[in-house]
Amino acid sequence: MFSAKLKIVLLAAAPFLLQAQNLQEFEKRVTEFTLPNGMRWIVLERHEAPTVAFNSFVNAGAVDDPAGQSSMAHMFEHMIGKGTTTVGTTNWSAEQKALQRVEDVYDKFEQEKRKGAKADKTALKQLEAELKDAIESANSYVVPNEFTRVIDEQGGVGFNAGTAQDYTTYFYSLPSNKTELWFLLTSEWFRRPVFREFYKERDVVREERRMRVESSTQGKLMELLMATAFMAHPYRNMIGWASEIEALRAKQADAFYQKYYAPGNITMAVVGNVKPAEIKRMAEKYFGTIPARALPPSVSAVEPEQEGEKRAVLETNSQPFLLMGYKRPDQNHADDPVFDVVAGILSSGRTGLLYKELVRDKRIALAVQAGATFPSGKYDNLFVLFDVPQAGHTVEENEKAIYAILERLKNEKVDEATLQRVKTKVRAGLIRQLDSNTGLASQLPFYSVMYGDWRVMFTGLKDIEKVTADDVQRVAKKYFADDNRTVVHTVKESAPKQEASR
Amino acid sequence: MKKVLLALSLSALTWAQPAAAPAKVMTIPSYKSLKFGPAPEIKIPDIPMFTLANGMKVYLLENHELPLVSGFALVRTGNLFDPKDKIGLAELTGTVMRSGGTKSKTGEQLDEQLENVAASVETSIGESNGRIGFSALKENVDDVLAIFQDVMQNAEFRQDKLDLAKQQLRSSISRRNDDPGDILNRNFAEIVYGRDNPYGWRMEYEHIDNIKRDDLIAFYKRYFFPANMILAVQGDFATADMRAKIEKLFGSWSAKQEPVPAFPPVTAKPSPGVYLATKNDVTQTNFSFGHLGGELKDPNYPALSVMADILGGGFSSRLFKNVRTKLGLAYSVSGGWGATYDHPGLFQVSGSTKSQSTVDTIQAAQSEVNRIRTTEVTDQELDTAKQSVLNSFVFFFDSPSKTLSRLMTYEYYGYPKDFIFQYQKGVQATTKADVLRVAKQYLKPEDIAIVAVGKPADFVKPLTTLGPVKEIDLSISEPKKAPAASSDSASLARGRSLIQKAQQAVGGADKLAAVKDFTQSVEAALTTPQGSLKAQQTNQWMRSGAFRQTQQLPFGKIQAYYDGKTNWLASPQGVMEMPPPVLRQMQGEKMRVFFELMLADRNPEWTVNAVAENAVEISSKQGDRVRIDFDSSGLPAKYSYQSMGMQGPTAVVSTPSDYREVSGIRLPHKVVIEQGGQKFAEATVSEWKLNSGLTAEELSKKP
Repeated sequence: MFSAKLKIVLLAAAPFLLQAQNLQEFEKRVTEFTLPNGMRWIVLERHEAPTVAFNSFVNAGAVDDPAGQSSMAHMFEHMIGKGTTTVGTTNWSAEQKALQRVEDVYDKFEQEKRKGAKADKTALKQLEAELKDAIESANSYVVPNEFTRVIDEQGGVGFNAGTAQDYTTYFYSLPSNKTELWFLLTSEWFRRPVFREFYKERDVVREERRMRVESSTQGKLMELLMATAFMAHPYRNMIGWASEIEALRAKQADAFYQKYYAPGNITMAVVGNVKPAEIKRMAEKYFGTIPARALPPSVSAVEPEQEGEKRAVLETNSQPFLLMGYKRPDQNHADDPVFDVVAGILSSGRTGLLYKELVRDKRIALAVQAGATFPSGKYDNLFVLFDVPQAGHTVEENEKAIYAILERLKNEKVDEATLQRVKTKVRAGLIRQLDSNTGLASQLPFYSVMYGDWRVMFTGLKDIEKVTADDVQRVAKKYFADDNRTVVHTVKESAPKQEASR
Repeated sequence: MKKVLLALSLSALTWAQPAAAPAKVMTIPSYKSLKFGPAPEIKIPDIPMFTLANGMKVYLLENHELPLVSGFALVRTGNLFDPKDKIGLAELTGTVMRSGGTKSKTGEQLDEQLENVAASVETSIGESNGRIGFSALKENVDDVLAIFQDVMQNAEFRQDKLDLAKQQLRSSISRRNDDPGDILNRNFAEIVYGRDNPYGWRMEYEHIDNIKRDDLIAFYKRYFFPANMILAVQGDFATADMRAKIEKLFGSWSAKQEPVPAFPPVTAKPSPGVYLATKNDVTQTNFSFGHLGGELKDPNYPALSVMADILGGGFSSRLFKNVRTKLGLAYSVSGGWGATYDHPGLFQVSGSTKSQSTVDTIQAAQSEVNRIRTTEVTDQELDTAKQSVLNSFVFFFDSPSKTLSRLMTYEYYGYPKDFIFQYQKGVQATTKADVLRVAKQYLKPEDIAIVAVGKPADFVKPLTTLGPVKEIDLSISEPKKAPAASSDSASLARGRSLIQKAQQAVGGADKLAAVKDFTQSVEAALTTPQGSLKAQQTNQWMRSGAFRQTQQLPFGKIQAYYDGKTNWLASPQGVMEMPPPVLRQMQGEKMRVFFELMLADRNPEWTVNAVAENAVEISSKQGDRVRIDFDSSGLPAKYSYQSMGMQGPTAVVSTPSDYREVSGIRLPHKVVIEQGGQKFAEATVSEWKLNSGLTAEELSKKP
């Protein structure tokens, strides 16, 4: 008896042990420092291979798009490859003048255009031609893609960038003997990004919207969900409105840079075969000279309380989809870990309730997924459910079945085995993330910026561990209420089909 | 130095940068002057292989970084072995092998057991290999290995999970026309490889319906035996210990089969041309063009990979620079020389662009292909492409598990262990002349197939600018219909008598046969999610075969013509040949014309079979079928048939009523149509005009 009991206790303690070991192990290898200009650095030594991964994490994202300039934060992701005052140009001083002329002509063009119907058509046409000419002349100084070419040539891999609602990241990896190249190129860009080929790249961003939203049923539904659920908060905008993208200006980008790309708003992560002292020396050399600037404000809009279910439909010929979201508080709220556990109970693996009921047993869905935090967690956001109905089964049927499961979470306590399983999976999930430089280089600054400390990556498990069946029930009752819900789904296109009557 | 200063002060003015612009900028050297330490040494773990007595090959790799153990077995099988009438068998076997549980445990029991310890065991079969993998925390490795072994040796393929997997595959077929990228990739591969062989054929409902549990068991038994697989395990263990475990678990597995034959060769012939898949709910065209690619073992592969890299391999490539960066025409554009281990891959240039600029973008991309075939690349381009491969080489070895899976892959496809270093040497040796030579030799403009998925009405230049356009049929072929009711001479005789009774009921066969043409005017109310919608329709038909439908809808007039040979479709957007799904619908419409069905017994192409006491099924040689239920007086009371809509096959029931006499024949004046069990339309015939002397000429005349 005694020994059996002991064994159980030990087993339960093991995960904590593991977690503590991991954290201690990690702390030994992590070096943090902040430059006098406010830029923060996290360096993790991993000497498994002679490579190094870099991640530049800017604490500004799509939510920070100025009014009328949706997708501005996203434009930066596209400008990283355009180079600097020394990379990507044949003659910077001449190019700079040419770029200024583009802006001047564009200003005039916009002024005339703003007159609407009263605009002088001839003048407009002339200005348009002049603008085209100015852009072409600025382009004549461009060394296309020099910035990315250098990285390629030196063996860089995985060069890319991403814009989330809350932040923007830029990343790639290099053989570790090329570490200084990253410092040089990145520091120049962050010191002084050049918005060359801005208007071509604007077309590319517009094209990206066509791909991700306009030509994709899921993309359209996602956009509809956010725009329906949020009235005031900028989470309402997914990738930017077409008309606003088409009107973005380079001079606005510069203003955005000045405001949001202050060194104190940026965290750099370096993970791999490096010596922290050297990283610090190079950080000081390359980034230390970027002057400090005031930190930007955070978003002031607070989404007003939802007073009733919201619903919207998308007419389409595509097969059906259902998407819904419940409003939930931001990631620093005490209920945050409970939402993670609830999402796990609902849709993790083959034992998630939604999979078991809707996919496996009732066979009314092809896939169902729950997401605890959408689109991002810095501000109040959505707990989402995404459902792909099985052929021959309707959105309505699936919607009802999902509600029945959510009701069960409210009315019955989740059993201990399920709760433990979800927690174990979260823990194991963390361990499985620890073996890649690029993964770690993106995780460390994420936790550091979003939760205030990279250690939350480990210590957050304690909060998950504390979640009880009562918590799950309480949170389900509190948030999964009809009037807190937004539902969007497809309906068949109303235009009549060819089927004729006889 | 002065120049730089001037530039800086200008920048402060023009870009409203704070006046305290950093003077220290100047101390930043050019990247060209950076000196790097020596290239890092590549450390390659030594991973010896051993073979069990039953022929199973095993690799073990210790890796103590994290408290995890994982592994997978690579099995010589693949969907290339699917039987022609059971496409999907390999995939279903791969799925149900795990979900269907083992002899002693159901799939659900495995799910719980594994997920309780955050572990997984998964199975799948792809094109040219099968895979069973597991992942476990170190502390649970014994339990998880036991399940891994149980699934591998004792899969039970329970029927309920097969049913589920089949239903899911069917659902995925019904969804395959939703994503433009999927449509493109599927059709491009089908066109280049040809649809008559496993590399290019397409799974349909019918194939899935043909697959039974016994087929899965037979497929599994044929391929899952120890001598036909390679197992690799890596993670936090001691090698000797793990070896003992593996030997214990798999050493006694005695399953044996004949050696698995080679995969079928690619036999495709070039299929050049321009192909269009029309998808009207997008604002962007997805396109690909290309032809067959090659194999990795081709000695020219290193030069080809350098060539393809310069052409379309990433942010520095010509396609990216010119189509995306310079022209701003595309978000995604790329090109690659597809080479695989054991058969030719695809040479494929792909991109997406707004509908309007479809042709310009394809042409811009094409001109890059032509350019790389006709002129040498620059020194810098060659250098960038080579350096990027050589300098990033270290990333091939940045984790032990990459080395392990590469070793397994080489072993599986029979490649030398040092293949990657041969490739490295080949890249090193590649010259500008090599690039031009392989581009000329391997890129064949005359073989190029262009495939576009998009909304042609929005193209500024028509796709025909690129050549004659072949429309891709996106319709999903109907599931194998419920087998035709069995017929024998007795049921055929009863069928004939039922139809003849109907002929009597409506006025007699002679009167029916005397009708050479009709014009029918219909007022229809269609049910839509937005409420009722009015439509007017005129149907004109001639016994000689011509059939014309005119529909007046709120957004314009649609006219369709079909006479068994030619067809056209006219809408406000113009006149065109019917897309295949519309044609299919029109053929069905024509078959179901009252005067054709009523004399079905006289049509040599059709059979009339009694399927119930008071119902017949009329079927054509093409496989179309209509069931007619008669009322007690012999009049048709219900037509049932399958119609192919945009959403896949739908069961349609149409109920005629209000029979009134016109020229001595009783004709229905009201029809209610239900689709998929829901009311779709209610139609009232305002007029039947018989034998008004229609001519083939006026019926076939395009508006």
